[in-house]
Amino acid sequence: MAIKLSGRIDSNNAASVEQEIMEKLDSSNPSVVIDATDLAYISSAGLRVLLRIRKAYPHMEIHGVNSDVYEILDMTGFTEMMKVEKAYRVVSVEGCEEIGHGANGKIYRIDQDNVVKVYKNADALADIQHEREVAKLALILGIPTAISYDVVRVGESYGSVFEMLNARSFSKILETEPDKMDWCVGEYVELLKKIHGTLVPKGKLPDMKETVVSWAEFMQDHLPEEAGKKLLDMVKAVPQDDHMIHGDYHTKNVELQNDEILLIDMDTLAVGNPIFELGSIFNAFIGFSELDHNVIKEFQGYDYETAGTFWHKFLAAYLETDCETKIREVEDKARIIGYTRLIRRSIRRGGLETEEGRREIDFWKTRLLELLERTDKLTFNPMELELEAIPENLEEVQAFVDDRLEKTDCSPKAQMQIDVAVEEIFINIASYAYAPDKGKAVVRVEVSDDPVTVKITFVDHGIPYDPLAKEDPDVNLPADQRDAGGLGIFMTKKFMDDVNYTYMDGQNILTLMKNL
Amino acid sequence: MMTFPKKMDLHMHTTISDGSDSPEEILARVREAGIQLFSVTDHDAMKGCEIIRSVRTKEDPAFINGIEFSCKDEYGKYHILGYGYDPDSEAMRKVVEVGHGHRIRKVKARLEYLKETFGFHFTDEEIRELFKLDNPGKPHIGNLMVKHGYAGSIEEAIDGFINKKKFHGNENVRPEAAIEGILGGGGIPVLAHPVYGDGGQLILGDEMEDRIRRLMDFGLKGLECFYSGFTDKLRDQMLDSARRHGLYVTAGSDYHGTNKLVVLGDNGLDAVKEWPDGLVRFLKDVRIEE
Repeated sequence: MAIKLSGRIDSNNAASVEQEIMEKLDSSNPSVVIDATDLAYISSAGLRVLLRIRKAYPHMEIHGVNSDVYEILDMTGFTEMMKVEKAYRVVSVEGCEEIGHGANGKIYRIDQDNVVKVYKNADALADIQHEREVAKLALILGIPTAISYDVVRVGESYGSVFEMLNARSFSKILETEPDKMDWCVGEYVELLKKIHGTLVPKGKLPDMKETVVSWAEFMQDHLPEEAGKKLLDMVKAVPQDDHMIHGDYHTKNVELQNDEILLIDMDTLAVGNPIFELGSIFNAFIGFSELDHNVIKEFQGYDYETAGTFWHKFLAAYLETDCETKIREVEDKARIIGYTRLIRRSIRRGGLETEEGRREIDFWKTRLLELLERTDKLTFNPMELELEAIPENLEEVQAFVDDRLEKTDCSPKAQMQIDVAVEEIFINIASYAYAPDKGKAVVRVEVSDDPVTVKITFVDHGIPYDPLAKEDPDVNLPADQRDAGGLGIFMTKKFMDDVNYTYMDGQNILTLMKNL
Repeated sequence: MMTFPKKMDLHMHTTISDGSDSPEEILARVREAGIQLFSVTDHDAMKGCEIIRSVRTKEDPAFINGIEFSCKDEYGKYHILGYGYDPDSEAMRKVVEVGHGHRIRKVKARLEYLKETFGFHFTDEEIRELFKLDNPGKPHIGNLMVKHGYAGSIEEAIDGFINKKKFHGNENVRPEAAIEGILGGGGIPVLAHPVYGDGGQLILGDEMEDRIRRLMDFGLKGLECFYSGFTDKLRDQMLDSARRHGLYVTAGSDYHGTNKLVVLGDNGLDAVKEWPDGLVRFLKDVRIEE
């Protein structure tokens, strides 16, 4: 039962208003909604009328209350006794600068200090509520973000108002000041690491893995059986992770506000393995515009080349390595997630029914199948490098190990000694493990504190071979009579604090330990 | 002293003021409602209580002499309840007389104003009857206007015409006079529905505190913390105030019969598990006719 109130309710008309309302109400229908959209003022006599209705109809609600009336209802405790919904301020975005748009709507600057995010979805109020809640959660967990302070009516939809003073998105900075790219990359990575390092209490945010599993399940009908199964198995094998991911981390959602970095557009906040985030970041920079390079310009303001450079610098900085092999490994995994999402998205939008749609789906599918062929898992370990065990890759391995050592207070002498040992072991694997065929080796670096110790592990699937079993060479012999290989292992043992070999599950596992 | 009543209502009006039930009728309703302790609190009049005392028997619910003074000073308007006074006391008789005098002067001034401004005429017989009432006021004038077709309803009469007459100056009992009279009659002065002033305001926070302190200086002893028009929050604020100032606590509905839609006995006292100390002390200290 809805009752509309209008004008003023004060001691002069309270009694007649009450009589009128009570006559309209029907005790067999316990739900009563008072529509207060046109109610300008309510006096204490009016409050007592509301209270009496509430006593007769405990489920009564009041909707569309203006801010003056709301304040009175709040001060007097009415908001605690009944559901009171505020009326929304009406804001027009006509002629306002559009400063961003995302999956759920567009963002406009409505004046110098404020922006409004207008939602395009039908249940915008629920979306706004959700975003407010997750933004608050993120802020509590230490992520710098803007919390909307008001909900407004914009045309037929609703908007969330944020205070945003002198803010510029990273997209704008990259577009207008390209020389600031390295600085942007640094800040962008630092914030993302903070997000990925944030543990979220269980149940507070959706699990991104569930979403990606559903994408992979969708793909079963659109990929060759074996490839489809591999994709699904790999997604399912990604371990559960309670760390935060943003879900839409592109350069328009990172703002610089008075020297502070601010994350916005929080409605996609989730938890999960960082690879899911990297998949969506890949799409933002490359995936969406790989086929049509103009897309990025339209969306971000900068061109495809800039996006590619940023993406590469970003991955290197995120993984803290210049090792191309490592970067490519993680990029491959991100692309698998990215293409999966793009294909599903296109198909669900009727892509298979149009020439253009089929072309893009084919384009992504070809790449996805290639990637699935050469990838076995989606997770990555920034401290681990997998590559072909060939002598040409030594430089890569050493660059990777050196990058890891950079974070420690490793002396130049210790670093030189580690380089010698790494060279000896890797060349050994490259030369003998798979000969005459080729195979892969994994190099893992682990640094532990107190005392600072570095542990480097080499794993290969080659023939069982223990390089330590060989007797130490007699270093007193003249140089022309010594065995060169044996000397290398001898130096390794001498430089390291511990060297260990085991053969397990068909793998040669050799570890070097050095106290720094 | 009587055992604690389970249900009480210490604020109601009869036809002696602006209620629609006669004192005899209200006694019957109090009985029906299962109320074990009640007080009749007509505006500026003790006559309702006098009638109740004359018809009440030992089997009837326990009773407290009551009154509600309409007061005004330069800080605002107040309704001050008086409980358990001696109706024969000189102090009470005097302050009621002063209140009644103000009321009669106002009715006269209003009738004059309606006649001069709008040309509304009433018969001598009607005016005589009006002044014979114990407590003539705006509703009674409105009633006459409706009868003559000057207004469609009592509300229209009051809102559209009677209230147009503004009074400036001393036409109400001052709160200190009301409190002095009640105390002089051995009664307990209590501020009615404090949050709502004389019924039409909303007084909260510091303003409310100032008001209570000012009236305490005159001898105010209690606050009507349980009231039909209070939300839980307002009730709790008042209880907190009473506790901090060591004031008595009372509970009333402000029942007016069919003139207002308040239910007799409705004052929120049933919602609390334990009675506040201020209410327990009030029941110990107030004079109750058993």
